[in-house]
Amino acid sequence: MVERFRATAMFPLLAAVMLFGVFVLGGLTYQAIIGGGAAERLITIMLIDAIVVLGIQIYVGNTGVLSFGHIGFGAIAGYTFGILAIAPLEKEKRVPDAPFGLTDVHLSTWLAVVIAVGVTVIAAFVIGLGLARSGAESGAVAATVITLALLFVTHEVARNWPELTGGDRAGLSFRIGGNLDTRAPIYLMLFVAIVVATFFAKSRSGRLAVAAREDNLAARAMGINPLVQQMIALLISVAVVSVGASLRVYQDGSILPDDFFFNYTLLTIVMLVVGGRNSVTGAVLGVAVMTAGREFSRRLGQDDFEVFGIGLDGAPLDWIFRENLQTVFLGLSMLGFMLWRPKGILDDWELGDWMRRRFGPKNDVQPDLAESVTSDDDLVLVASDVDLFFGGFQALAGAGIEARGDEVVGIIGPNGAGKTTLVNVITGMAEQTSGRVVLGDTDLSTSEPFEIARAGLVRTFQNLRLFGALTVRENTEVSTLVAARHRTERAHPSVDQLVVAAGLWDHRDRRASELDYGNSRRLELARAAGMSPSFLLLDEPTSGMSDSESLEMVEQVRTMADLVGAGVVVIDHDLNFITGICDRIYCLDRGRVIAAGTPAEIQANPQVQAAYLGTG
Amino acid sequence: MTELLQNLIDGLGRGSIYALLALGVAVVFGVMHLLNFAHGEMITVAGYVAFWTIGTNDWSWWLVVPLIVLSAIATSLVIERIAFSRVRGASDFTLLLTSFGVHFVVSAIFLLYVSASVKTFPRPTWVANTYSVRSLNIEVFDTVVIGVTLVTLIATTLLLQRTMFGLSLRAAAADFDTARLMGVKSDSVIRGAFALSGLLAGIAGVFWLMRAGSTTPTAGIDPMLKGVLAALIGGLGSLRGAVIGGFALGLAEVLLRSRLPDSVASLTEGVVFLLIALLFIFRPQGLITVAHAERV
Repeated sequence: MVERFRATAMFPLLAAVMLFGVFVLGGLTYQAIIGGGAAERLITIMLIDAIVVLGIQIYVGNTGVLSFGHIGFGAIAGYTFGILAIAPLEKEKRVPDAPFGLTDVHLSTWLAVVIAVGVTVIAAFVIGLGLARSGAESGAVAATVITLALLFVTHEVARNWPELTGGDRAGLSFRIGGNLDTRAPIYLMLFVAIVVATFFAKSRSGRLAVAAREDNLAARAMGINPLVQQMIALLISVAVVSVGASLRVYQDGSILPDDFFFNYTLLTIVMLVVGGRNSVTGAVLGVAVMTAGREFSRRLGQDDFEVFGIGLDGAPLDWIFRENLQTVFLGLSMLGFMLWRPKGILDDWELGDWMRRRFGPKNDVQPDLAESVTSDDDLVLVASDVDLFFGGFQALAGAGIEARGDEVVGIIGPNGAGKTTLVNVITGMAEQTSGRVVLGDTDLSTSEPFEIARAGLVRTFQNLRLFGALTVRENTEVSTLVAARHRTERAHPSVDQLVVAAGLWDHRDRRASELDYGNSRRLELARAAGMSPSFLLLDEPTSGMSDSESLEMVEQVRTMADLVGAGVVVIDHDLNFITGICDRIYCLDRGRVIAAGTPAEIQANPQVQAAYLGTG
Repeated sequence: MTELLQNLIDGLGRGSIYALLALGVAVVFGVMHLLNFAHGEMITVAGYVAFWTIGTNDWSWWLVVPLIVLSAIATSLVIERIAFSRVRGASDFTLLLTSFGVHFVVSAIFLLYVSASVKTFPRPTWVANTYSVRSLNIEVFDTVVIGVTLVTLIATTLLLQRTMFGLSLRAAAADFDTARLMGVKSDSVIRGAFALSGLLAGIAGVFWLMRAGSTTPTAGIDPMLKGVLAALIGGLGSLRGAVIGGFALGLAEVLLRSRLPDSVASLTEGVVFLLIALLFIFRPQGLITVAHAERV
């Protein structure tokens, strides 16, 4: 129990406390030095901004989808909170005829926050469905435009539905500005926001979302449904933003449509990307840096201001120039960081991770390989009569293979024979015109890639699709996380055992993007095996490898298949590799099987020699 | 029936401008996978050109029209040179935020050196004129817009179908990497795309400004949003889709504005956004499907 806490939760929690402490103390120090109401207000706003930015980070950082809509969600929360929490006496003045009798409602502040969060999360769920569908079809760009549209819709509605919102001029307002006489609730919610953001990134959902962020297709091939993980991230993220927005309204004492529109969106997004959107530490740092920079540029516009001799004292600049220095600062920060440091100051550096690496328990004992899992001899994979047309070109013409759960089956054939296309059809990544894919009793002909992976067919990619920002261990861990939930009938080797079996132990903590070609291929193999599949489908595992490496790969594929008890279907060009590892071989040419048999039979087959070796 | 026909004509007029904007967005998206949130900045700049020439110096509109178009092309090329050429091939996230940053910097420049207030210039006198055909009231302005747009679209189609540049551009839009392997010069194609996009935005900008008669530092947001949304409705990456999306958006706005009950008429924009969101739930790939199979 204590061991587990030390290994997983201790350092993130410690980091959250430190982050919170440093951030708050920094603010309080500034406030003490400068003094006065303005400084106090600045710090209060900074604390609230941090909550909102952390909320946005949960979605944007973990899913990699840029959202302009979170401030729109903030508007929904802010107005819901306002209309519920403001006393009827005040509402009589601005929104006397609010729909649903809302004018007469008066809830306690906390209850109003809870309901505001609830309402906004429900709205986020509906929007999230649209985001998910368009994102899946047209990519993250379409999702971003929808979030932008959301921002404009909420703004339009807020402006043009005065019965509910008080419209453009009046807005909603508590009796006096600045309701909060203590910062306690802000501190509390800020700490909660840091903890939630930190632990979401460490959670199963967070890790799977990050995998999909790094490579959506590979994530689906590992049995992840990105839409579900993105939805979870969206709902949690919107909940945190809603809390921040409600606090903001309570602190300001009022809400107007423009409070939650373009400027606030720009500010929060800049804060996030400057610090480093993929890191919770980065989000908090960004809030601090941008608050300081903005305050500096605002005061630079004032005549009496000077720091280290820098000041515009007496400079012949008109008030427009001075007034708008802040906006310029924000715009230039965004553009500058995108051009020169698009991942922000910290990229994905995380305080908790650093502390764990530095002070945490070192688990660098190389594990022994586990007992081999018995393979499923009776399980048969059958792809039959598969036709596939790309426009007028027939890529597959009645192709098919059969493989048993304890076999290694090879697919060879000249370039363009349809080998990869056949594997694409089997794993659901290409839609066949006709033909069936059946695993045991399960028909997978029309299933989604992630369903097929969960059913036990897991592939690697010819063109390498690793989760680049994740380490070797983390890449492998992603598939073991999915296996733990969806492949329960099988025994699972540990992440470290997989890494050892793939011969990557020495590289276990390096990022996948830093690996050389051969090691990347090995990691693809380990990651696929981590799913504890019934069949591993390997697409050219030795492409780009030297002869000696290819021979090693024979051993690694064997070890790996034994370790997880999987049958193997392998495409390759390298005849030494193929004949060295396969029990049976299919030879494809122009989309059809022209020969099948043992390696010896295939090598002797004149048709194969003609098509594949180009002789005869 | 008459009302519907009237709506149709009004919608075509409005949709024409959107179609030109959307086509410009789609052309740039095709060559560098950039959804350009700075697409409206061409019109912001053009607006100040109109203000300085017509508004303060009483130039004639006829003289200023080519100036507006030229300034839009120049703005597009300068923005490409300063910002977008540095982020070619970057992630969607970086591209989107770069264009957003460009928008904010351009509007900040006008904020600093001009002012935040609305700058006006007189509209051409004929903008409000109408003529009647049977019982229909047709604006002279709409007629001109529709006519010019048709000519522009035909010319653009010819450019894309008949010239080497057009071929390169379409090839790049279909598959940028392969096109480059086949010898399409990425630099000139991308610059050409930005020039074309600026030209289309310039023509749309002339009409936009003739109708608006004013500009502000953030005046680019509105046309940008229309263009981007229309391109998205049509199906990102499809040039034909972008044009169709533009007309669809224009028609939808006019129809909703005239058909919605008075109590919600002020929410037209909101309803349009809502419809777009619904469209994406039921037809997430947009109106025109573009095959962009990922290679595995």
